[in-house]
Amino acid sequence: MNPADALSKPLPAPDADSAALWAAMREGRLLLQHCLACGHVQYYQQGICRACGSDRLEHRAASGRGHVHSYSVVHRAPGPAFKADTPYAVLLVELDEGPRMISSLVDADPSAVEIDMRVELVFDQVTDQVTLPRFRPASGAA
Amino acid sequence: MSRSLRGQTAIIGTGRSQVGRVPGRSPLLLAADATRAALADAGLRKTDLDGVLACSALASPFHRFSVAFSEYLGIQPTFSNNLQVSGATAATLFNVAAAAIAGGLAETILVVGADSLLTGLTPDLALRSLTESRDQQYEMPFGIPVANTFAMTALRHMHEYGTTAEQLAMVAVIERAHAGRTPGAQMAAPITVGDVLNSGWVTTPYHKLDCSLISDGGAAFVVTSAERARALGVAKPVYILGGGECYTHEHIFLMPSLTTTGAVQSSAKAYAMAGCAPADIDVAGVYDCFTGTVIMMLEDLGFCPKGEGGRFVEDGQMTYGGAIPCNTHGGLLSFAHSGMPGSLFHFDEIVHQLRGECGERQVEGAELALVHSLGGGFATQATTILGTAATL
Repeated sequence: MNPADALSKPLPAPDADSAALWAAMREGRLLLQHCLACGHVQYYQQGICRACGSDRLEHRAASGRGHVHSYSVVHRAPGPAFKADTPYAVLLVELDEGPRMISSLVDADPSAVEIDMRVELVFDQVTDQVTLPRFRPASGAA
Repeated sequence: MSRSLRGQTAIIGTGRSQVGRVPGRSPLLLAADATRAALADAGLRKTDLDGVLACSALASPFHRFSVAFSEYLGIQPTFSNNLQVSGATAATLFNVAAAAIAGGLAETILVVGADSLLTGLTPDLALRSLTESRDQQYEMPFGIPVANTFAMTALRHMHEYGTTAEQLAMVAVIERAHAGRTPGAQMAAPITVGDVLNSGWVTTPYHKLDCSLISDGGAAFVVTSAERARALGVAKPVYILGGGECYTHEHIFLMPSLTTTGAVQSSAKAYAMAGCAPADIDVAGVYDCFTGTVIMMLEDLGFCPKGEGGRFVEDGQMTYGGAIPCNTHGGLLSFAHSGMPGSLFHFDEIVHQLRGECGERQVEGAELALVHSLGGGFATQATTILGTAATL
């Protein structure tokens, strides 16, 4: 690892399985894979359904609504790139469509996060190439 | 279960290097220190080994650590491999060694692991260890250290079962007290629940003293067939009675349940093979990368009902006089944690417990023991059950 790289945050490098996900993210859509054979919905992008093995998967945009299944507020950063952000809340969000995903909280005090808190998706354009899915407390929620 | 490893192999030698801050000794040399001690303990020479099973070392440049170490030691084994399932590797090494011997691939295997995470990592390697262990697309862009995955399971456990920060802290307090009676332990000064709660946040709900150590050190073991152990006249062979593993996910967001883990399945397989139940186990080595990890494992290994781990610890059930004394050497929290080899120290302690050699740490009448290793945010789970000749 180049020492200069240590100061920049790791960014997703799309691969054959995930290219569509990250491309759509730039356009403000979070794509979930819906299995046309069994109805299973998955976030982690792969060529086959984890439930039934079918390759008949269809991308549909997520509603962007969900709740916090669990979280942890990071005070000791994993490397210098995240140090300035501490404390920050890493979220394990359960989307209303079912799948869970890792993200982080924006637009709120990390100490205010609670399990089961309703959250909504925010698209955070971090570079020209990369937009990350983050979450903020749902509007209308406490 | 039609096929079984039960009693077919035994650990006949155990040894470890100095642990803690051990500057100037490479992982290979730490492994050699441990191997010398294990061979002496077994009364064997290096040429008596025909197999080597190892876990790789972060501070070593060798991808084939078991092969590089064989060269370093000056042996040419006819069976060799590295296993890599993160923290669970330790128990898998014994499970696979037993299977390889029972299946005729080798007769006498050196199980070995060492690393120098405290003094041997370059800044580059240290950073890689922090940032490259989680998924680079779906996890790491959000700044999730591996500690965070364990932390999220603990917070969820607190939410579902009312487990308290004080109960988590008690695990660290108890293990520190154990380490205080273990010669060579990295951290021996007693601590209180207040010390843990005031040690500063790492990632909620974990404070610094809820987290395991970063250490240098290694351990090695000689495993052979029960027939060979008898032929050698080994005084107190420690038999491998059962093994089981389970791998439920890779990504933390695909963990089926944050509070019930694959340790349920891995231990169930091990108990079935060994022909025993949790209540029969006299002493245990339970993977303890974080305090909450131990509480969840006490439940999933069957030592207490789901959700009662916190109260079980608070009631003194994981120490002397309790239901299941755990980590009597001090564990990863206070004895040493040199990465993948860390859980090998639990095995070293258990072998000594089953041979009745632990002095003031001895669990009276210890005949049957369990060691559980895990890793990768509860992704990997491996259990091994060990016993004395009386348990055969």
